[in-house]
Amino acid sequence: MVSISQKIITIPPVLDRNWVEQSNSLLCERNRNLILDLSKTVRIDSAGLCFIKLLNLQCKNSGKKLILRNISSDHLNLLKTCNFPFQDKESPDSFKNSFFVSTGDTFIKFMNNSVHALSVLTEMLYWGTFGLLKKQDFKRGALGEQMYQLGYKAFGIVTLLSFLIGIVLSLQSAMQLRNFGAGIFLAPLIGITMVREMGPLLTAIILAGRTGSATTAEIATMGVGEELDALQTMGINPIQFAVVPKFWAISITMPILSILATAAGILGGFFVAIFYLDLSSSIFWGELSKHLHLRDLNAGFIKSVVFSWLIIWIGSYYGLRVRGGAEAVGRETTASVVTGIFIIILADAIFSFIL
Amino acid sequence: MLNPLKKDIVRINNLVVKYGENTILNDISTRFYSSEIRVILGTSGCGKTTLLKSIIGLLKPFSGTVYIENTEIKDQDDPETVKILKKIGVLFQNGALLGSMTVGENVALPLQMHTNLPDSIIKEIVQLKLAQVDLPNASELYPGELSGGMKKRAALARALALDPPLLFCDEPSAGLDPVTSAGLDELLLKIRKTLGITIIVVTHELLSIEKIADNITFLSKGALLFDGPLKDALALEKGPIVDFFKRHEPKNKFHLSNTTDFFVENIK
Ligand SMILES: Nc1ncnc2c1ncn2[C@@H]1O[C@H](COP(=O)(O)OP(=O)(O)OP(=O)(O)O)[C@@H](O)[C@H]1O
Ligand SMILES: [Mg+2]
Repeated sequence: MVSISQKIITIPPVLDRNWVEQSNSLLCERNRNLILDLSKTVRIDSAGLCFIKLLNLQCKNSGKKLILRNISSDHLNLLKTCNFPFQDKESPDSFKNSFFVSTGDTFIKFMNNSVHALSVLTEMLYWGTFGLLKKQDFKRGALGEQMYQLGYKAFGIVTLLSFLIGIVLSLQSAMQLRNFGAGIFLAPLIGITMVREMGPLLTAIILAGRTGSATTAEIATMGVGEELDALQTMGINPIQFAVVPKFWAISITMPILSILATAAGILGGFFVAIFYLDLSSSIFWGELSKHLHLRDLNAGFIKSVVFSWLIIWIGSYYGLRVRGGAEAVGRETTASVVTGIFIIILADAIFSFIL
Repeated sequence: MLNPLKKDIVRINNLVVKYGENTILNDISTRFYSSEIRVILGTSGCGKTTLLKSIIGLLKPFSGTVYIENTEIKDQDDPETVKILKKIGVLFQNGALLGSMTVGENVALPLQMHTNLPDSIIKEIVQLKLAQVDLPNASELYPGELSGGMKKRAALARALALDPPLLFCDEPSAGLDPVTSAGLDELLLKIRKTLGITIIVVTHELLSIEKIADNITFLSKGALLFDGPLKDALALEKGPIVDFFKRHEPKNKFHLSNTTDFFVENIK
């Protein structure tokens, strides 16, 4: 008689996680029948149950046998209850991974996102302007509060930073200009740079960080907590309630902040001109007004308004598309700031060509 | 099973709601009568909240229609829909109070938005509503400073602020102790009696169902299993509704077909 090779394992009184951890090499056994002797076993925990189940499955698949010897009927019943079919996720078939499908998926996703972003933009513009004739769904004093929050409170940091940037920029230029004896050109140089570029851009970047992130976080939190749904059921338009006050507040305060930032930057340049280049103040202001044209001021103004809309648009788009919980709020806020700054710089580049 | 003669306030016709490809509600048709208390029940995750949200137009149905007071509920920009929404109070499952405003401001919000009442009256109404839900001193607190059950009650006060003829409550008593939740049932019965409003309640509490329900709507896996008077449901002999009321555990919790058998020697 040929004896089939087999291995007898005596299970300890307690078949628990610890034992499974030590003996999981058994799961690699493929060549022998296994006999588990459970005569001493009094307690089996979940790890033990799943271990036996897995062992059984494995033996079956490799054409061998697992025999449970001396198992108590209670334990057998327990085993049977956990012996439900295991539902693995469908393995992705190769079609789903093909190049064309993934390209198409990405494209569709991109289109969906764009459509959503555009609809947020149109809703914001509509409810902020013509929609106001139909209904005014915001808290009394919301506009003033927002202007205070995102305008007045940003005033200090915006002017301080532009003042410093003004000094740095003018110092760098002044050193070069002095070599050529052209120090007098510092005034128009710093003036035009500040008015056309740095004033609006710096303000926009700071506000993208401050207001953009705050907008996203606020709206996203409201979305996650079903507050936006609650507003709708009260017949209150969530866009008007949450976005429109910010939209107007930023449209009004951002040009003002830009002008102040520009002035602070030019003031920085002025100090450099006086103390480093020894120019007289009347020459500085005279040169500045001679070379600064209305079209430069317009360019700066238009930019600051457009940037402010970009900030609030991107902020609310990311806030409105949130799905999930607290973590999603953080993720969308980060994405909103990064995208906001990127889009602003991109828009600035485009403006350089057309303004 | 529903009485065709009674006057109805909500009519739902062949409603199908999907999230992506998942069909959550499959072909639901029912009517809610005016001045009744209707309890929607069913096991967790069967689509009760989804049904509420599609009735009030928060979810766009895949197909089917919802009428409230003979007005079809469309999306939120439709002026007719908004007009109807002002007549509906909704108590969300998690309260959904605006976190950036105090409880008092939350309750005042619908009043400020939809009425021209002077501030002094609004303040009075807020106090009245908060007292009705037994929160007379919470007006200055922020929702984050309330307990779970207090949030629920504050949200109910907000839902009742405009004295709506139609009130939806999603699990009003979840997370409340038996005494408070019994008090809430009393409150619902009282406002129905005094104001004659229709109340649609989602709840699992057997005690409160038996106390307040006129009719019940029983959902199971997105389909409507029973729709009619509570006493008819209680008279049923067997089926999922009886299991629900008798707290039977479901049969076939795990599907034991197709399982691998064990080879056994010598059962102890
Ligand atoms: N936003 C969503 N996106 C996708 N699926 C969802 C969403 N909300 C709910 N679901 C799914 O819809 C189904 C029904 O959910 P619903 O919230 O209506 O259940 P419910 O009956 O209210 O349950 P409970 O008694 O636990 O509140 C669930 O399977 C849930 O996973
Ligand atoms: Mg629910």
